[in-house]
Amino acid sequence: MLTRINIGPIHPSTHGVLRLVVDLDGDTIANVEPHIGFLHRGVEKLVETRMYMQSPPYMEKLDYIAPMSVDELYVSTVEKALGIEVKERAQYQRMILLELQRIASHLFFIGALTNDMGMMFTGFMWGFRDRELILRLLEEATGQRMFYVNMRLGGMVNDFHGDFEQHVLKTMDYMEKRIPEYEKFLEKNPIFKQRTKGVGVLKRDDAIALGVSGPVLRASGVPYDVRRDNPYYFYKELNFREMSLNGGDSFSRYRLRVMEMRESMRIIRESFRKMPEGDSTGQMVKLRMPPVKNKVVTVAREVPRGEELMYMVAGDQKPYRLSIRSPVFINLHALNHIAKGHRLADLYPILGSLDVVMADVDR
Amino acid sequence: MKVEREDLGRNLSDMKRSGYTYLVKITAVDYSDHLEAIYILRNMDERKDVSVEVKLAPTDLWLDTVISQFPAADWYERELQEMFGILIKGRKADRLLLEKWDGREYPLRRSFEWGKDYERM
Repeated sequence: MLTRINIGPIHPSTHGVLRLVVDLDGDTIANVEPHIGFLHRGVEKLVETRMYMQSPPYMEKLDYIAPMSVDELYVSTVEKALGIEVKERAQYQRMILLELQRIASHLFFIGALTNDMGMMFTGFMWGFRDRELILRLLEEATGQRMFYVNMRLGGMVNDFHGDFEQHVLKTMDYMEKRIPEYEKFLEKNPIFKQRTKGVGVLKRDDAIALGVSGPVLRASGVPYDVRRDNPYYFYKELNFREMSLNGGDSFSRYRLRVMEMRESMRIIRESFRKMPEGDSTGQMVKLRMPPVKNKVVTVAREVPRGEELMYMVAGDQKPYRLSIRSPVFINLHALNHIAKGHRLADLYPILGSLDVVMADVDR
Repeated sequence: MKVEREDLGRNLSDMKRSGYTYLVKITAVDYSDHLEAIYILRNMDERKDVSVEVKLAPTDLWLDTVISQFPAADWYERELQEMFGILIKGRKADRLLLEKWDGREYPLRRSFEWGKDYERM
């Protein structure tokens, strides 16, 4: 006899408006069906009605934990469609800001994951405290704390100010000391270990078949990273380590994100060293663009949650069609496969380790 | 790579055997006079992507499901059904995934009027 219970759509552990219909056999999950669409705004249709440079603010609201990464992807897609070169200095600046965004997003992940396991407040507050430092840096660079809209075609809205590098490096030095504290706090914690190690195992072949991407894929032993395997900007010239873990469980997915934070910090330091002098400002925002006729472009980016891809059919002045591959949409699809056979209480750490953002799932 | 609709399943199986085991995305574009479904596949060892395009007539919209070869296709196919009205054959009846429309209008088709007050379910 299966018992059907309903979780959400409004629930602190569902990371937004996600409804889970869970069939239970005793306390064991027999089937879990995510009901999505509560935050569906039809962004793909909306951008068809807007001029190219009217859309970045909409894009930022897709992934509200790491807004800049989606904004940058959209602007890059438009740049590719219209054949616009990005200034070298601006490319380095984008890399620096995107990696800062990645660290902020992963800190949010740690906070949310520990919260899901009932470790509110310590883990949650630690994660959010350090995320706030990164957001302060982003605010310094762009003027906004969360929704930046700081990309223009061919460059940035404004160049970094004089002290920005020092401020970033100082924060990185601080973070360098903080990350071992996280590791000590979580990885030596028997409750955290018990609730994540060996829980929610996704095997390598299943991960490929289910099409998951990002940290979830790499934690299952597939070292695919768009930054390295389909490189953009200057990632290919950086000293960039291949990262993957073979565990495939919730713990590996957490551990990989911690490793990625360290790697991001190295990328930021190296980018500052290699960044050329000059100007990084892009074109003034203008609505009229050189005409294009149904040109198809595909651009992929490694956003904090996985591989975000935009397939754009560029029309005259407006996108004719913009299709977004959201990494969390397809990672969430794998939830049923991962959670089957576990206890109900394990569902939250598993969902937390997938790091879903419902706005990006629903689009 | 352009393929005929009837050969889609066989082509994708061939691709899968030759190493393209990862389905990146299924999407579609409405070009008014015809629709195009796009399957983007990836070879994880060679780090290579390929896209398979299928042309569809607006009056005769159906595709075979590829869910047995690529489990990742599940939600993408449901999205196509809802957003474009492309019937995916070989699936059991699905609950609506993203939109709670009445099923007569398809939001991502060009014929969908922006701003019109469509009936909700």
